Amino acid sequence: MNDNPIVVENLVKYYEGRCVLDGVSFVVPRGCIFGLLGRNGSGKTTIIRILLGLEPPTRGRTQVLGQDSTRLSAQTHGRVGYVAEGHHLIQSYKVRRLISLCQGLSLRWNEEFFGHLMETFRLPLDRKVKELSTGMRAQLNLALAMAIDPELLVLDDPTLGLDTIARRQFLELAIDVIQRQGRTILFSSHILSDVERIADRIGVLVAGKLVVDCTLDELKSRIKKLRVIFPEAAPPDLYLTEIVNQRQQGREMVLTVANWNPQKQAILETFRPESCTEMPMSLEDIFIECTRPATAAVTEDVARASCP
Amino acid sequence: MLTLMRREAYDNIVYLVGLGLVAAMLIVVLISAAFEGMQEDYFLPLGLLTFLLLLGLYALGAAQMYGDRANRISSLLTTQAVTRSRVLAARALVGLLAVLAVLLPVVVTAVVLLWAFLPPLDFYRRLLVEIPLTLALTAFACHSAGLLVGWTTNRIRLLAGAVLLVTAVASLLWIKGFGPDVMAVLLLFIAATLLRTWHTFTSTSL
Repeated sequence: MNDNPIVVENLVKYYEGRCVLDGVSFVVPRGCIFGLLGRNGSGKTTIIRILLGLEPPTRGRTQVLGQDSTRLSAQTHGRVGYVAEGHHLIQSYKVRRLISLCQGLSLRWNEEFFGHLMETFRLPLDRKVKELSTGMRAQLNLALAMAIDPELLVLDDPTLGLDTIARRQFLELAIDVIQRQGRTILFSSHILSDVERIADRIGVLVAGKLVVDCTLDELKSRIKKLRVIFPEAAPPDLYLTEIVNQRQQGREMVLTVANWNPQKQAILETFRPESCTEMPMSLEDIFIECTRPATAAVTEDVARASCP
Repeated sequence: MLTLMRREAYDNIVYLVGLGLVAAMLIVVLISAAFEGMQEDYFLPLGLLTFLLLLGLYALGAAQMYGDRANRISSLLTTQAVTRSRVLAARALVGLLAVLAVLLPVVVTAVVLLWAFLPPLDFYRRLLVEIPLTLALTAFACHSAGLLVGWTTNRIRLLAGAVLLVTAVASLLWIKGFGPDVMAVLLLFIAATLLRTWHTFTSTSL
């Protein structure tokens, strides 16, 4: 058994001369739910496609379950469940036939679990895939990916197009899968509350670079958003290292600072603020702060310096 | 592999049925020709039907690859316990089986007719081996060419490939006839096209 089902080393990808991935490196340990975040076009899908051997890298190395992604064997493919963005299923097939095809091509097929999923999703077997709604296609794709009892589950924006109830069902299923010992999930999504709910490690991609790679708790503990009220106008010369974002309005200043520590607090106190309160930050807030173009470089340095 | 082959055959059933019909017509013309003393009138329909057969096999190969690219079938298949090489091997094997399934009844008919109507000379016995083998290789060469050209989204390229490649392969028979020389050329052609298709298919984005 491999300790790191996913290894990405210095991955570079160019599309028609445009750099899509710029030296991305990370590992996903066994049993981890890794949430890959990033804005549209930041390179999330490209990383996933390279990992699964659907796309050749320009440079760098990726490994899935201990095998190089460019030379994945059928056995390794059979241990990976994949839900693609847009759910590329064979549109002209009836659902029953698609299921039969995937079952025929699988190494393992958990009929009981698959039956349970089909019952939960209530998918019509006699309809063609192209006649299904986006949500139903997502559910079918998810059921097919999970039926093989995957050691590694790769989900590329899987909840796209699902309604609230289906999304909730999906998340519960994902949690169910991770609870089966040794399962690993790589999960990319735009819906940050979903990622926050299930991921235990986060990677944030900005313009092809991985600017954050650490556990969710670490990320939350490292980045602080502070509302500082000064007796008079906020000082224009306030300087702290690793400020991710800074806004001021009259006496109030809102600071987002990475790696908040007693030294930084001492420096802030020299400006004699009237009050300093910490504002709660959701993953979405952190994501927005981290993906602002001007702050990406600061966040990258910070994240890399302190993440294990 | 059997699942992949079944899928290929099922998805391209129209081409397989079409090829079967052409083979049936070929058998009918052969029988008619034999009973009427193999007159020159039959050469044209026999030639045209053979060309149609080759065109059909090219179309089968092209449809296998074109349908895949247009519907992103391999991007689903290769996320199952399957490699790209296996997907391509299944396609080539289905083509080979189609060639055998179509040509075998024609060959058996021809053998029976030759045995019944022609004197038992060595010359004819040699023909019985060389003609079917060369024809089978030509047919498989056309299917391989279809696989190579079919990995495109450009329909004009597909049609141009059909006309040029099938005509080129068929004219090889027209000019050189049936025999070991042509078989060697066809084997090289098949190896080269399959290798090139494999290289393109395994290194491209799905």
